[in-house]
Amino acid sequence: MACRVINKRQHVGLQQLSLFAETGRTFLGPVKSSKFVTGGDCHESVLISSTVRLLESLDLTSTVGQLLYEAVQAQNNTYRTGTSTLLFLVGAWSRAAEECLHLGVPIPVIAAVMSEGLDSCREEVAFLQVPVHNVFDCVHNSRTISGLETPHVGSCPFLQAPSGAGGIPKEHDFKHAASQLLTVYSLSGRPVKLPEFFNLPVKVEAGKEASQGLKSSVHTDTCSRKSVLTHSRHFNRTNNSLWISKQDGFLEQYSAATPKTYRCCDLVELAVGLSHGDLGTMKLVEAAVQLQYHKACVQQGNCTVPFMFDVSRVFTCCLPGLPETLSCVCSGYVTVVPIASITLIEGLENQPLRVVLIEGDLVESYHHLGFNESTNIKTVLDSVELQGDSSEELWTNYVLQVLTQFNVNLILVQGNVSEPLTEKCGHNKRLVVGSVGSSVMQAFAEAVGAVPVTYVSQVNADCVGSGVSVTFWRTPLEVVGRSSGMPILLKTEGINLITAVLTHSVPAQMQAKEDRFWTCAYRLHYALEDEKVFLGGGAVEFLCLSHLQILAEQSLSKGDHPSLGWLPNTSCWLASSLPAYRPTVLKCLAGGWHRYLSALMCNSATCPSELAARTFIEHHVQNATASGSPSAYILNEYSKLNSGIFNAGFSDKLEQVPRVYDIVTPKMEAWRRALDLVLLVLKTDSEVITGLGHAQMNSQEVGGLLFL
Amino acid sequence: MSRLEAKKPSLCKSEPLTSDTVRATLSVLKGVLTSCYGPSGRLKQLHNGLGGYVCTTSQSSALLSNLSVTHPALKILTTSVQNHVSCFSDCGLFTAILCCNLIENAQKTDLTPTTVIKLNKHLLSLCTNYLKSEACGCRIPVDFSSTQILLCLVRSILRSKPACMLIRKEVDHISALILRAFLLTIPENTEDHIILGKSIIVPLKGQKVTDSTVLPGILIEMSEVQLMRMLPIKKSSALKVALFCTSLSGDFSDTGEGTLVVSYRMSLENAALDQLLNLGRQLISDHVDLVLCQKVIHPSLKQFLSIHHVIAIDRVGVALMEPLSKVTGTQPIGSIGSISPSSYGIVKELCTAKFGSKHFFHLIPNEATICSLLLCNRNDTAWDELKLTCQTALHVLQLTIKEPWALLGGGCTETHLAAFIRYKARNEPESILTDDGCTQAELQLVAEAFCSALLSLAGSLEHDGGEIVTDIKYGHFWSIQGDCPSVVNWPDLLSRCGCGLYSSQEELSWSFLRSSCHPFAPQSCLPHETVGPDSNLTLDCLTAKLSGLQVAVETANLILDLSYVIEDKN
Repeated sequence: MACRVINKRQHVGLQQLSLFAETGRTFLGPVKSSKFVTGGDCHESVLISSTVRLLESLDLTSTVGQLLYEAVQAQNNTYRTGTSTLLFLVGAWSRAAEECLHLGVPIPVIAAVMSEGLDSCREEVAFLQVPVHNVFDCVHNSRTISGLETPHVGSCPFLQAPSGAGGIPKEHDFKHAASQLLTVYSLSGRPVKLPEFFNLPVKVEAGKEASQGLKSSVHTDTCSRKSVLTHSRHFNRTNNSLWISKQDGFLEQYSAATPKTYRCCDLVELAVGLSHGDLGTMKLVEAAVQLQYHKACVQQGNCTVPFMFDVSRVFTCCLPGLPETLSCVCSGYVTVVPIASITLIEGLENQPLRVVLIEGDLVESYHHLGFNESTNIKTVLDSVELQGDSSEELWTNYVLQVLTQFNVNLILVQGNVSEPLTEKCGHNKRLVVGSVGSSVMQAFAEAVGAVPVTYVSQVNADCVGSGVSVTFWRTPLEVVGRSSGMPILLKTEGINLITAVLTHSVPAQMQAKEDRFWTCAYRLHYALEDEKVFLGGGAVEFLCLSHLQILAEQSLSKGDHPSLGWLPNTSCWLASSLPAYRPTVLKCLAGGWHRYLSALMCNSATCPSELAARTFIEHHVQNATASGSPSAYILNEYSKLNSGIFNAGFSDKLEQVPRVYDIVTPKMEAWRRALDLVLLVLKTDSEVITGLGHAQMNSQEVGGLLFL
Repeated sequence: MSRLEAKKPSLCKSEPLTSDTVRATLSVLKGVLTSCYGPSGRLKQLHNGLGGYVCTTSQSSALLSNLSVTHPALKILTTSVQNHVSCFSDCGLFTAILCCNLIENAQKTDLTPTTVIKLNKHLLSLCTNYLKSEACGCRIPVDFSSTQILLCLVRSILRSKPACMLIRKEVDHISALILRAFLLTIPENTEDHIILGKSIIVPLKGQKVTDSTVLPGILIEMSEVQLMRMLPIKKSSALKVALFCTSLSGDFSDTGEGTLVVSYRMSLENAALDQLLNLGRQLISDHVDLVLCQKVIHPSLKQFLSIHHVIAIDRVGVALMEPLSKVTGTQPIGSIGSISPSSYGIVKELCTAKFGSKHFFHLIPNEATICSLLLCNRNDTAWDELKLTCQTALHVLQLTIKEPWALLGGGCTETHLAAFIRYKARNEPESILTDDGCTQAELQLVAEAFCSALLSLAGSLEHDGGEIVTDIKYGHFWSIQGDCPSVVNWPDLLSRCGCGLYSSQEELSWSFLRSSCHPFAPQSCLPHETVGPDSNLTLDCLTAKLSGLQVAVETANLILDLSYVIEDKN
């Protein structure tokens, strides 16, 4: 066993943390630059555009690296978003903690003041929360108003709109909506308008991502192709707001039909605000939410139960190699079957299918989990009479017999399927689909009344569901050139399952596209679950920064601030010396926010240089702290956006600038996790390597190690 | 042809403690342990050097189980501390550091080990008698009619584990939960003796700490799919339960040795399944409502049961078997032959619950002394530390119910005890020395070594360059900034003593630990009123600390007594 001291004024652990975190700097904010990660040995490279993927491909064998990886994974597994924020703040705050160490602040004081400082920030940012309520009301009303108009997706204007439209309402509608929302959003007591804060994501949406959004189309579940409205990328870039005013597709149509529909833009507005520059992907997510909502309404008649966006019933199907315009959201299950099954599908089209759901593998040797096969049982043949058929064939015949008996022509299998069986079933006009997700199985079980079974021998009349239809997702001609398979759509009346078909012409981008889809989906999910969002675009972080500055100044002038900075042992001398160190630590913590904001601005290219960004932030922090109430300042500046205080160069047409929102819980958790990690490393003074003796180390490594 | 290899001779080392390497390793070990001690102790990252899980901890149980020490003397030390921790959960670092200090200090004196050992024993019994006596000035009675002292006890434990990464609110939340969980394990109708129930800690990692909660009864984790498939529970009355500890998966893993030859036309699996279905029929005819299985239930049997409206829950796991059997009053069924009706039990209610991303079956028994503590923390390593800490706290509460006293924490007991020993050794040496040939001078030397071991243990609470002073009235522990000027206004510089009982404004006088002041009899003025509703004392478990003290002194004596280490080189 060996022991290494890692903390002597220069904290190696903190340095490593900030080093690792630096790699993810460009993933912060709406404009993410992709990275190539190349393996040193075999020259394999991966295209990466998210923090999680980055850390997955980095070699983080050091203890600190491992802890960082675990923290990012924990955030990702719980919330699926906020990892870039987490990574960046880990870096920013480990630098802040290191600064404190250099200034001679004792470690417990740094830990105490930083965690209570962040806690205070978390309380303060509640001022910037925007409640999200009844975003579906208008959707629901419109459905009832429109009466018998196809109560399907068709009634959802967003899905019918020409692609790319609908994100932003027309100017007068927006004004109308904004005035409606005034009372809701004015948290400081006086009515304020809340246009964009920092304009960071706006340019992105308008310039780069909008064209993507325009290109990708959102289709209805009928899978008919709509005409696609395409704008020139350059055209958009030269005039940032042009596309917005051009998008009068759905709203005009819609408002003409039902006058009181401006509230409909609530969900749209929320989605746009949460898209963080990825409008195209968010459109898909929003379409999925709308679809799910309508399903829920149809099923429940009158939505008495509050609708929740159930992410577990959304599924992705990635089709690399197809143009991005084909991305869409469908009700039902889209999966890829081998090209050889085309004739089979053609035969099964236009007829209701009877379905059996098999959990586990559909192979002869499969046993359920927990079944331990004995090694000492030997089967012998009594005579030669049965040698004709192998047991595999016997089993295949048996399965077919059962399927025929219950007239089953679709088998959904969660695991693998035996090749010969698939073939034989194909000859018998029965389709077997393997590797079906468990939530898909569950959705089918609910919709068609099938009961999932583990073995074919369990199948009885009650297990079989009926009424599933199969179609090609696109006509075979449209997806021609894909040698890997043919996408098909399985659906049934009232199935609570949505597949987002994601396509990308560059296969290397497929993973990133899928990741982006889930990020957007979870963002919207948490916004709806929390029933509140933050004003985004850096407003929250700016408030934290100004709040900490004020706290630091207060504790300088007023001295003790009893609520801030708590040591586990209050009788320790550190507790009484804490007030002396508090301003220093708070300023360092605020410095972390400062770095965050300037990185955000630099990444979004709103500022030519880091220096400019810092000056800009500094200026506004001064104003905010001078005003006494930073939250009020921010809310006010939102309304003063017209005069271009935050927003040089956006002096006109600001009303059209969509708001940017941030999700509440995942964001605040990411902060806390980041700080927890930094403090965990800060409080650590040595690493103990178990199971190491002198002999196992070469002489270079022994330096600095103590042996027991 | 067999070959005989000559055995290597055993290696015999005399006076192992005099060797420099042993002293050096002992001081490294002591350094590692000392730096972890107390609320502002530093953490250690434990890992195997090859990547993978990193444990960040400052707890003795986690540290010592991962430290592989080589020298036998150190092994004695770590083993006896681990043994103490497994019995009492708390005060592991206290024991280990005190033991190291005692060995080091004994080596500094010129006395023979025998004398030191003899006198150490006397001093130990002096201490234990004092701590157990009514006259003891550093303990307070635990009042079970209010939560105040109990909460202080739990809070002190939580605060002394910085790797849990809790802020104040979270400490308060978790200590309230721990106390509630403990209270739920106390049976309502007490007869002659109480049998305490059990708190099961259910992991819920990745969630906020404040999402943690306590529920009466047992939580069994299940998948979301299982939840969807679960039949609506119709019955309003109690459910009849069968609990299986054998596998119902229909396999034949216990065929014994040798090979079993089976004819091609025979299907063992079908035979096993038939047997299972027969079992199912019996369960249905016995009107069982709920079947719980430690291992796996065959899907066909599950299907069969669900058709007959019997809820089947499998893969419960071995850890839950004992509490399940206790709560429901079932005899775990170990065979799939016939079931005696007496093995069935009763559960009052079964419902489902969702916490974070996990789904659970929630079994609510009739009379519960079993509860589930659903514990959340943001990351794995902090969760593991928090779990250990909660277990320690629950254990300490159990120990406290047996011996309803708490020692003053924060170093005050150590300094108080040192003052007491010093005073006794100087003023009443004859009460310690009982005619076994030790002189008073020897007693003075050993008592000084003993006291300085205690004081330097208390001093180990300081990690940031501060200094320790004691008052010369109560002998309590006070912490002070390191480089303070010599002439100071003490009351302004100090705030409260380590345990929080006394304030510096109470007209006390202080002296540095390192300066030798005149021995005084520490007063045991314990105004019970000071333990008011908002007082915030740091307390330690009496039972655990007493045992720690004993283990430390006895282990130190044992190690000091080592005269040879004989190593078998073969």
